Amino acid sequence: MPFSVVAQITVSGALIGLVYALVAYGFQLTYATSKSINFGQGELVMVSSFVSLSLLGTGLPYWAVVPLGILFGALLGLAVERAAVRLALEQRSEGWILLTIIVGLFLFSFAENVWGRDDRPFPTPIPGASITVLGVDVTGLELAVLGGVLVVMVLVEVFKRRTLLGKAFDAVSADRDAAELMGISATHTVMLSYALSGAVAAVAGILVSPITTVGPTMASALVLKAFSVAVVAGLESGFGVVVVGLFLGALEGLASLYIGSGWREAPGLVLLILALAVRPTGVFGKAVIRKV
Amino acid sequence: MPRLLALVISLLAVPALAQDTVKIALTGPYSGGSAPMGASTRDGSKLAIAEINAAGGIPVGGKKLKIEIVERDDEAKNERGALIAQELAAMKDLSGVIGSVNTGVVMAGDKYFQEAGITKIICPAAGSASMTQWLTKGDKPGPERLSIFRFAAHDGIQAELVVEEAIRRNLGKVAIFHDDTNYGVSGRDDLLDQIRKQGNKLQVVTQEKFKIGDKDMTAQILKARSLGARGILIWGIGPEEAAVSNGMAKLGYKVPLIGGWTLSMSNYIDNAGPNGNGTLMPQTFIEEPVTPKAKAFIEAYHKAYGVSRIPSPVSAAQGYDAVLIFAAAVKQAGSTDSLKIRDALEDLKEPVDGVIATWKKPYSRWSPTDVTTHEAFRKEQTVMGMVKDGRVVFANPADRARFQKRGGK
Repeated sequence: MPFSVVAQITVSGALIGLVYALVAYGFQLTYATSKSINFGQGELVMVSSFVSLSLLGTGLPYWAVVPLGILFGALLGLAVERAAVRLALEQRSEGWILLTIIVGLFLFSFAENVWGRDDRPFPTPIPGASITVLGVDVTGLELAVLGGVLVVMVLVEVFKRRTLLGKAFDAVSADRDAAELMGISATHTVMLSYALSGAVAAVAGILVSPITTVGPTMASALVLKAFSVAVVAGLESGFGVVVVGLFLGALEGLASLYIGSGWREAPGLVLLILALAVRPTGVFGKAVIRKV
Repeated sequence: MPRLLALVISLLAVPALAQDTVKIALTGPYSGGSAPMGASTRDGSKLAIAEINAAGGIPVGGKKLKIEIVERDDEAKNERGALIAQELAAMKDLSGVIGSVNTGVVMAGDKYFQEAGITKIICPAAGSASMTQWLTKGDKPGPERLSIFRFAAHDGIQAELVVEEAIRRNLGKVAIFHDDTNYGVSGRDDLLDQIRKQGNKLQVVTQEKFKIGDKDMTAQILKARSLGARGILIWGIGPEEAAVSNGMAKLGYKVPLIGGWTLSMSNYIDNAGPNGNGTLMPQTFIEEPVTPKAKAFIEAYHKAYGVSRIPSPVSAAQGYDAVLIFAAAVKQAGSTDSLKIRDALEDLKEPVDGVIATWKKPYSRWSPTDVTTHEAFRKEQTVMGMVKDGRVVFANPADRARFQKRGGK
């Protein structure tokens, strides 16, 4: 196989992998503060995309729809936190697992009934035409994914590291009870993390919709892979999800080239099993030493 | 209490009165990736039913009976199709079934209709296996009589046209793309079969698979390109086929995309946008008013459903004609009994003036060695269509002239 083909497949796969990384990042944000994950994250991506599509349908310009869509995602994240996570966390139970799945199922049915079950194109001013960079063809849409994912993750990381509110994230993440004693409201921090996670889901939806089209099932495959990425990378490392996302995306492309297109998903799953067997905390995760 | 119970039982036991309607079930996927085909078939059928009912109904035994519709959404899911088939097959007063878009759904459900003796016209599922499953295979004999008919250009015809077109364009090396459903896999087999039958003038450099829901086809396309394919033959449904077209445009890979009639679905045309221009597929009906009958049908459809483009014109026209043929069989049988309707379908005396063609004896007595006895379409009722600026048009002007003056087979 000529090198240019391999390079092209690696790059195209890796760019799709960045979307997995962004969804995985949404898992990490909530895990950091509350050790809980929204299993309905994919539905957040999907419903935010549908809402953005409906807003576009009202005639609003694209660049006005983007912030509104992100705002909607954040509100939806808050709603999930209130409905499915807060009570369970207060009672120190694992009820959030079932509750977030239920909220996801509810959102799925909601979308099917409101927007129908068809896949619809998502209009965007970003050109779909391709340009050639170093012998590799990439479309404007793919570059938008690249730019969007990096910008969002850098912004959130800067927020977490450089602002007082962001420090609260780390504090609650490190020790919820100690943080409470220091006057940090753990509840508010968890709320903030869910809002951020919802906003990240909305960004992922807006970025990926023009490529995948919008439909109720658009995120079901995405979220499974994002979950693999989050687990393989470790639920602590923002840098890790980017690396693993790129790697997994490229691996999928190469697998379908060398093994056959029916085997596309297989290497990712093998990778997941290997990671869990060899490094349960993730490749980039920190082993937590628990003193008893 | 016992008295109430007795009342309930007596109500249930009231013998069915002589029927005053002809009950027909319409089935298909009205949601999801196959919805443009399912909904268009249903809507085309309903248009014909509304016209028949407006004229008083079908004359049966001195009375005119109106058609009553039972509608079921199988969501293109095999298991749902099987459940619906069982439910319908248990209905005592059902005269027939028209529908099914997905070959997998047909394979999962039709045996219940055959067992219950309910006449079904498959429309528009095209996968070859839908009908060949009833043929005699080795020492396993096919059924003596068959209640299943098809009203669609089956994949065998379609694959023949696709391969002919590829040879006519002198493509030489081609890649075959298909999805991993029953439809995609049997379509691939039909293509390979036709390439062999037409003298191996095409060399298949690679066979590439994709799943329903896949949107990144880069790897498959690059493999085809690097192996020197000068055309892609494809069997799948709209959304994924659009992803292939968009991927080809991204990689600047400009070769003909030729495939099954699903390339005329609105969710292919809309999602591929300008990248879909030039795509070729076999069609039984083109949304152009080439005959007065076609013109009236297109206008009636647009008006009834408030659209300016039929989501799947082939499905709509086939759904319409299938109802007319079924109604003609009911009239000839003089009965709402499904088995008598089957017998009439196998020997229709009067030609049926449909929107696609004038159908003279579309079916004949079933033979377990000859599937064409229950297939209405032949190659002459099929043409190559081409996507052009969001619509499907005649690929060759000569076909347009042929369709203008066509009648029956």
